[in-house]
Amino acid sequence: MTAANELYEERLKRIKTAAALEKPDRVPVVPLANAFCARHMGVKMSEFCTNPKISNETIIKSFSRLGEFDGLQSAAFYATGLSTLWLSKVKLPGYDLPENELWQVDERELMTIEDYDAIIDKGYNEFLSDYYRERLDNLEAKLQPLSYMPQAQKNIEDLGIVLFCGGMATIPYESFCGGRSMPAFLKDLFRIPDKVQEAMDVAMVDILENTRQMLRAAKPIAIWTGGWRSASEFLSPRLWNRFVFPYFKQLVQAVVDEGVIAILHFDSDWTRDLEYLRELPKGKCVLALDGATDIFKAKEILGDHMCIMGDVPSSPLSLGTPDEVHDYCRRLINEIGPAGFILSSGCDIPPNAKPENVKAMIDSVK
Amino acid sequence: MGAPLSELMRDLVEDELFEGVKQQLNDGVPPEKIFAELQKGMEFVGDKFQAQEYYLSELIMAADVFKNAASLLQEKFQSDEKDKIATMVLGTVAGDIHDIGKNIVSLIFSSNGFQVIDLGVDVPVQRFVDAVKEHKPQLVGLSCLLTTSFDSMKETVTALEEAGLRNGLKVLVGGGPLDETTRQYVKADVLCKDAPGGVEIAKKLLGVN
Repeated sequence: MTAANELYEERLKRIKTAAALEKPDRVPVVPLANAFCARHMGVKMSEFCTNPKISNETIIKSFSRLGEFDGLQSAAFYATGLSTLWLSKVKLPGYDLPENELWQVDERELMTIEDYDAIIDKGYNEFLSDYYRERLDNLEAKLQPLSYMPQAQKNIEDLGIVLFCGGMATIPYESFCGGRSMPAFLKDLFRIPDKVQEAMDVAMVDILENTRQMLRAAKPIAIWTGGWRSASEFLSPRLWNRFVFPYFKQLVQAVVDEGVIAILHFDSDWTRDLEYLRELPKGKCVLALDGATDIFKAKEILGDHMCIMGDVPSSPLSLGTPDEVHDYCRRLINEIGPAGFILSSGCDIPPNAKPENVKAMIDSVK
Repeated sequence: MGAPLSELMRDLVEDELFEGVKQQLNDGVPPEKIFAELQKGMEFVGDKFQAQEYYLSELIMAADVFKNAASLLQEKFQSDEKDKIATMVLGTVAGDIHDIGKNIVSLIFSSNGFQVIDLGVDVPVQRFVDAVKEHKPQLVGLSCLLTTSFDSMKETVTALEEAGLRNGLKVLVGGGPLDETTRQYVKADVLCKDAPGGVEIAKKLLGVN
């Protein structure tokens, strides 16, 4: 066994131990960073986010200067791929934006009210195939660069780094919300709730099957099952209990049934509904928070049920000092850990984070 | 006679509300009075939001229902500028195209008696300066969702200062990633966590009840 192999196994064990709610030799640290690495290495954002090979090299180079960590949540990045989750176009630096700006999802009403019927009549996969071609400028063809992803994964694993997120899936709420645009979609939930639910139920059949097929092909350790606009803070319990949670339950169960860890990558504030997450399979999920949900409350409610990951927020990483970041990380390690906890940034490390602050986060687990 | 319009507005029962508005117009109720009832309903909506009975979902729906109900009055009634509590110049700062939060702020402030000059998204610093010169607002509202936009927020506030427009002008900031540290960094007066909270803060700053 090579040194890199040994390191990989040691780190993987550490992460898996934490995910299974046990106490590893030390708390693992598994950051998520994309745009930050581009700025850190002086790579143009326009090149970073449109070329997975360049983003892979940049991520590796950037993190090689930031200390010793266990894994990453992203091996490469391709901004146009976001369209498959959001059903929106993505504005790209160098094309639609200045070349060093951050990419931005351009949320408009590309999906119409009639599309709910199209989904119900045709099924989701067939609907998506038409939608990609007609509304997202032939998205399918633009996804070709994603074929580099297995190589990107191999490149980081060869260095002994675990890729802790080997795929992405989300619930119909997120995609419909992105396609309709949030204001229009929220109004649909009041004005045509039964129609939306019927379309969600139909979409879910294909989403579950697509996810199973993806997991069987790629055999990842864990996948990202994300929610952002479906966060508790944005909608009333009545709507959340009908349109959000039942679908997460199905998705997470399907992932866990394949022997894969579900990373509940939950952006924004989910504090109100943490109690419901106890209905998800015990010791098989990782709740990844971004600083908006009260992570200490999450520990109190879910500490014996699921591993928690996070949550060094954007603000201290970009505007704080290394000491401030270190102190917050130590607090997390002691209070959320040392068992069942993975230290990470809250969501993506922001592009304007100071490298010394990111390093302070990584070093804090020692 | 059914429930008061303010309650139909509060409960988001739009069909009944629209019928009620039409009925009252036919009965000769002054449009100003109907509009005041709708505004009262929006205040109830704001209260429910503060009490965590309503969320963004209800807020967006309420803003739409209010807009549609008020449009039934439009031909007969133009809300008078002198009745406005204050004027706010509002926009998402340069480099950021996010508009949902900003639009909600615009609707909620408008329905609570403020005149809102909405400059849109990705607003260059100079446009804020020009708009403040032109409209002489009491408030400026700056929104952003990207952490990378903190600097354009700061530049906007600094430019207002340098143009000698900052005296007596209150700068309100809001948006997902903002916290008190960011508020200080960009040199704004107050951080607003949400639109109804922003209305309360603005009224307090202006000494309006």
